[in-house]
Amino acid sequence: MTEFKSGVDLSLMEGVLRQYQDDATSLIMILQQAQSIYGYLPQEVIYHVAERTGNSPAKVMGVATFYSYFRLQPMGTYQIMLCDGTACHVNGSERIRTAITQELGITNGQTTEDGMFTLNEVACLGCCSLAPVMMINGDTYGNLTPEKTIKILRKLRERESGQGIRILVGQGSCGVSAGAARVAKVLSGHMTATDSFTVETTGCIGMCYLEPIVDIYEGDKLLHRLVRVTETDALGIVEAVRKNDFSKLEAMFISDEDARFLKKQKRVALRNCGVVNPTSIDDYINHDGYKALDKALQMEPEQVIEEIKISGLAGRGGAGFPTWFKWDAARKAEGEEKYLICNADEGDPGAFMDRAVIESDPHTLIEGMLIGAYAIGASEMFVYIRAEYPLAVERLGHAIEQARSRGLLGENILGSGFSCDLNIKIGAGAFVCGEETALIESMEGKRGMPRLKPPFPAQSGYLNDPSNINNVETFANVAWIINNGGAAFAAMGTENSKGTKVFALTGKVQRGGLVEVPMGKSLKDVIFDIAGGIKDGRKYKAVQMGGPSGGCIPASLQDTPIDYKALSATGAIMGSGGMVVMDDSTCMVNIARFFLDFTARESCGKCVPCRIGTTRMMEILNRICDGQGQEGDIELLEELCISIKDGSLCGLGQTAPNPVLTTIRYFRDEYEAHIRDKKCPACECSALLTISIDPAKCTGCTVCARKCPVECISGERKEPHVIDQAACIKCKQCVSSCKFGAIVVE
Amino acid sequence: MKARIKVIINGKPCTGKPGQTLLEIAENNGIAIPNLCHNGELKHYGGCSLCVVEAEGSPKLLRACATVAQDGQVIYTESERVVRTRKTSIELLMSDHDGDCRGPCVLSCPASVNAQGYIQAIARGDDKEAVRILKERLPIPASIGRVCPHPCEGGCRRRMVEQPISISYLKYFAADRVIAQGGYLPAKAAATGKRVGVIGGGPGGLTAAYYLSLKGHRVTIVDAMPKMGGMLRYGIPEYRLPKRVLDEEVAEIASLGVEMKNNFRIGVDETFEEFKSHYDAVVIAIGAWESMPIGCPGEDLDGVMGGIDFLQRVALGEKPDIGDKVAVVGGGNTAMDACRTAVRLGAKEVYVVYRRTEAEMPAEQLEIDEAREEGVIYKFLTNPAEIVGENGKVKEMKLQVMELGEPDESGRRRPVPVEGKFEILPVTCVISAIGQKANVAGFEGIELNRKGIISADETSYRTSMPGVFAVGDATNKGASIAIEAIGEARRCSRVVDLYLNGIQMPYQKTYLSVKNPTEADFVDYIKRPRAQMPTRPAEERKHDFEEINLGFSEAQARAEAARCLDCGCHDFNECKLIRCANLYELQPERIERLRDHGKGKTHPSYKEKRLVVIERDQGKCILCSQCVRLCDEVVGKGILGLVDRGFETTIRPEFQHSDDVIRGCIDCLKCAEACPTGALRILENELED
Repeated sequence: MTEFKSGVDLSLMEGVLRQYQDDATSLIMILQQAQSIYGYLPQEVIYHVAERTGNSPAKVMGVATFYSYFRLQPMGTYQIMLCDGTACHVNGSERIRTAITQELGITNGQTTEDGMFTLNEVACLGCCSLAPVMMINGDTYGNLTPEKTIKILRKLRERESGQGIRILVGQGSCGVSAGAARVAKVLSGHMTATDSFTVETTGCIGMCYLEPIVDIYEGDKLLHRLVRVTETDALGIVEAVRKNDFSKLEAMFISDEDARFLKKQKRVALRNCGVVNPTSIDDYINHDGYKALDKALQMEPEQVIEEIKISGLAGRGGAGFPTWFKWDAARKAEGEEKYLICNADEGDPGAFMDRAVIESDPHTLIEGMLIGAYAIGASEMFVYIRAEYPLAVERLGHAIEQARSRGLLGENILGSGFSCDLNIKIGAGAFVCGEETALIESMEGKRGMPRLKPPFPAQSGYLNDPSNINNVETFANVAWIINNGGAAFAAMGTENSKGTKVFALTGKVQRGGLVEVPMGKSLKDVIFDIAGGIKDGRKYKAVQMGGPSGGCIPASLQDTPIDYKALSATGAIMGSGGMVVMDDSTCMVNIARFFLDFTARESCGKCVPCRIGTTRMMEILNRICDGQGQEGDIELLEELCISIKDGSLCGLGQTAPNPVLTTIRYFRDEYEAHIRDKKCPACECSALLTISIDPAKCTGCTVCARKCPVECISGERKEPHVIDQAACIKCKQCVSSCKFGAIVVE
Repeated sequence: MKARIKVIINGKPCTGKPGQTLLEIAENNGIAIPNLCHNGELKHYGGCSLCVVEAEGSPKLLRACATVAQDGQVIYTESERVVRTRKTSIELLMSDHDGDCRGPCVLSCPASVNAQGYIQAIARGDDKEAVRILKERLPIPASIGRVCPHPCEGGCRRRMVEQPISISYLKYFAADRVIAQGGYLPAKAAATGKRVGVIGGGPGGLTAAYYLSLKGHRVTIVDAMPKMGGMLRYGIPEYRLPKRVLDEEVAEIASLGVEMKNNFRIGVDETFEEFKSHYDAVVIAIGAWESMPIGCPGEDLDGVMGGIDFLQRVALGEKPDIGDKVAVVGGGNTAMDACRTAVRLGAKEVYVVYRRTEAEMPAEQLEIDEAREEGVIYKFLTNPAEIVGENGKVKEMKLQVMELGEPDESGRRRPVPVEGKFEILPVTCVISAIGQKANVAGFEGIELNRKGIISADETSYRTSMPGVFAVGDATNKGASIAIEAIGEARRCSRVVDLYLNGIQMPYQKTYLSVKNPTEADFVDYIKRPRAQMPTRPAEERKHDFEEINLGFSEAQARAEAARCLDCGCHDFNECKLIRCANLYELQPERIERLRDHGKGKTHPSYKEKRLVVIERDQGKCILCSQCVRLCDEVVGKGILGLVDRGFETTIRPEFQHSDDVIRGCIDCLKCAEACPTGALRILENELED
């Protein structure tokens, strides 16, 4: 054993090691526990874990360095996870990053000298409708501005230095960050012993832009939906409920237009979200919960599979593979042990429907999984969930406990003789683990590097046993299908895409959030009818479908129906349902670069085309956006795209070029403008911008000069001002400060 | 289950056993599919992405290493889509490959002589091996080692530490010692019955004859001069290259059975057509033997002569009448040879008239300095305006004074006359050494280029006449240095050999990986100055034609050779990566573009010896992971591991926390043996200890 000088108390790990050291698949969990004990993974801990688990230190090191969750350096008391997801990026996370850096003097991966704060940029926190967002020690802070960010940080520092009727409060991550927890607390505080109503918690209804949302129900009937509720509104709400007179609350009522947001949808997967209390199994059961399980257990497994086949349900994680086919293959595969796995590693920056389902309606997932497990004959189930979703992990864990205590998990479920238990495996930050073979590697405690297929997981998956993997949304549909029949599900949608699909709508739309619509609706229906069109009266330009693996669909194709085939024909994919809407102020080269940056950073590094190719593409896009693009770069990009798609080992690399390919396909002129004219038509790429003052419009009010952070604007009072082009950093602060529209960006 | 299955690969029916992969079946049927991460001892990996193939009915490309063949499957291993995908993967790999296939010395040598190889052999004390390596590319190392302007030393990376290795002098150190021990010649191939005629017995002609003779062809060299050696004998003075050295090396070539005919001039002794009719192929290597005129009035005066003619007459034993005051016009090596020869002939004042300054002189600095030591006077920034005579004999030179203007296309500043400013230099003789040109009289019928010299294809050395090849100073861009002609002649001999075997193929340039380090990469090296060649003092040497250089002592030579940084890859001959890279026509400029001309990310090279007898070079690792997987899956040690993710992934032995060698390594060498590149290298010497 190597001697170490520093004193790390290894005995603190004794408990976790004794419990897990002999389980080869628990390496990631042991390291997660170790990190929560020490705050990071000291070298001696890695050696110790290696020795106790029988792995070589090189192997443990390999795992520790693969996942972005693990730190090999000490961490601050407050861990700031700054989201760099798509929505946050589009909504100015860059400015938040600058504010944090200015306030704390640290950049990504660094810790303040006093050991109080560590800053880590993360791919996506899944709270896109609150963008820009950060999470500090598990608490979400949304709609950040630089000022707000600094205030939050200072407050934390101060604290450290010394210092019948049901009222349902939506407390998803979005609601909580908008202040829903405080609203719920104040509401409860105003209750007296004589009050007969209850204050309950529910999940996210998907209208994140209206949070905190408070629903007043009479039984199961929604009386009123109040939006953007604050703590000061609480007493008024309590009094209104007591008097049964809601007239004074009218200002808080959801507008008809916003209500349409829900009415136009068809909710199957999200049917209970925002309706049931996610922490109460009784509430779920009262909403017909576990009825489908009971029904399924009385059917033959083959009949269950047949029902799913009739429904036409396809994988909602992105690939759209028929669910029944996978179940059937797993059922028929030979093996004593079989596993059913739920892929809740929702890594697409911009998609958050899986988080919403688990946070708002965890029992729906458990029920769907149980039906699947029964159908394939699985003895054990797992949910592989991202560590970035602490609230979802907590609620799911709680729901599992409840289900166990009711005999819905474990031995002899509902007296049927069918036994199956469910456990959570927490990911450690690697997008590629959303790929099913990488997910299996990760579950086994290894680096999440994809395996070659065949063999498919249905033959040889987790621990080389037959395994079936479906996504959260897929499972969320299962109970509904069993209850209502496969034919009812198949009645919705198009010829080759059945049922509904949930989209996480973000970007430049009026109303962002979770939207569930029947297949076959057009993109226009979703963007304009449901989401109310583009913000600030700007022009609709394109929508990115399917996140970093998907593609950009231009406005001209807005009549494309939501259908696996139709979407693929555009070069995009259905994907897991991320929908980022862009207006004419979004640069298509820059957005392609943003998505590629994500995939390049998330590439596992195993195969050459993805490992080196995405990095090289990134470098080319960087130079195009910086005004250093060369003639021939577009063609080089296209060639790389095609070869990377053809040559990559797994879905990550095979789809990574899609955003670049589609933006070149539909917006080639923008690429050419960057390269040939050194201009960014959307005026987004700062290296290519010129900001100047129109002397005819400038009144010499001096506001811009005072706002300019680098003091590059000069001029006498009441005389036209001038921008020193050499000093200008193109922050555009002057543009927003000018009341006379005198500042020209081109 | 069937005992055999049938797969159609590239239209060829192939059979295999059920359960075999496409790669196995292809290989068993003689169809090569490139791969870098496949290893029969290990589980399939699929990382390198080179073994992709196209299968009928499959929308995606398949990895042949991992795909179990289906009966009746139709596979294409070289379809357009497959080749494009592979090519991109290789280009991507090369864009992140920080290593030198060959040392910069080898790459900067026009004849690609493996300097690193023979310098390392000399450092080990193995002179015979050094000469063996030398003669793979250079048949006359003792002669060339004395006279070569050594572009190799210009490339030598040791200059980034302090000074380049004295490569050229080490060459003749080893060659002299081996000659003294009886010389070295490689084995000759069996006689082919083919006949090759070589015209010209200079470095080019001798080289072509040597390699063609080794291939088993019957070779005859004809030469217009009394003895073989060409410019080495008649252009280079004795004090630089003693002719006994040249004689020894010419004799060695003759001993291979090369027939040598002197005093034989094409167009005089035989027409070219007649000559050609005796042979299956002809190589023309006649050199450039005519001095270029100065181009000023008075050139026809008695006492004005060409540098080449002057040196040739001295070499033939004549004593040309040059008088007391000699002016040599020009700044190249011929000018140096001429002025120093004039000193030795007894001239009292010898001038070098050069229109630019010392910094722009093409001659070697060492020669410029040595000539100065011997009393030569430089007249920089002057140009002959007129040679003034008296009674038909040279009396004085009128020199136009010059100054330097804007740089020209060669990057040197252009000399421009200073209006009306002249100087008078009294002289008895003017020697023009401003360039030389081939005399192609007698070769009518062969296409010439715009310069009036022979036009030969630059990759195949073919002339306009079938079966006639041409190399050296008489072709294309004109006169250059001996090693250039030697390089062309050796490459030409490859083409001629193939031609004689009925194959028409140009010489193909191999794609190679090249590193671009800076001085900052070498700051940690201990500075050890370059060995100084012992020479005779100027006062003594200027009076005779004896060799100036005394040669390195053995101790000096071994220490000098040990300074070599050993840049080129030791695994070049076994490297699978570079072989894959040369399967398809890679475009180096595209790879440069992918590297963003050095601005793109790479895995920087560093070497470490932490696995006892294995040296690891990160810059050459392609992450095929064979080492990691072997150590874990086969050896059961798991000492090597992958660290980090994506592009940043590296392979490291455990931690970087101590300088100790890795605990647990059992020197099984499996990792290094499997490594497809030079990233893991077995240190042979330490293994023997």
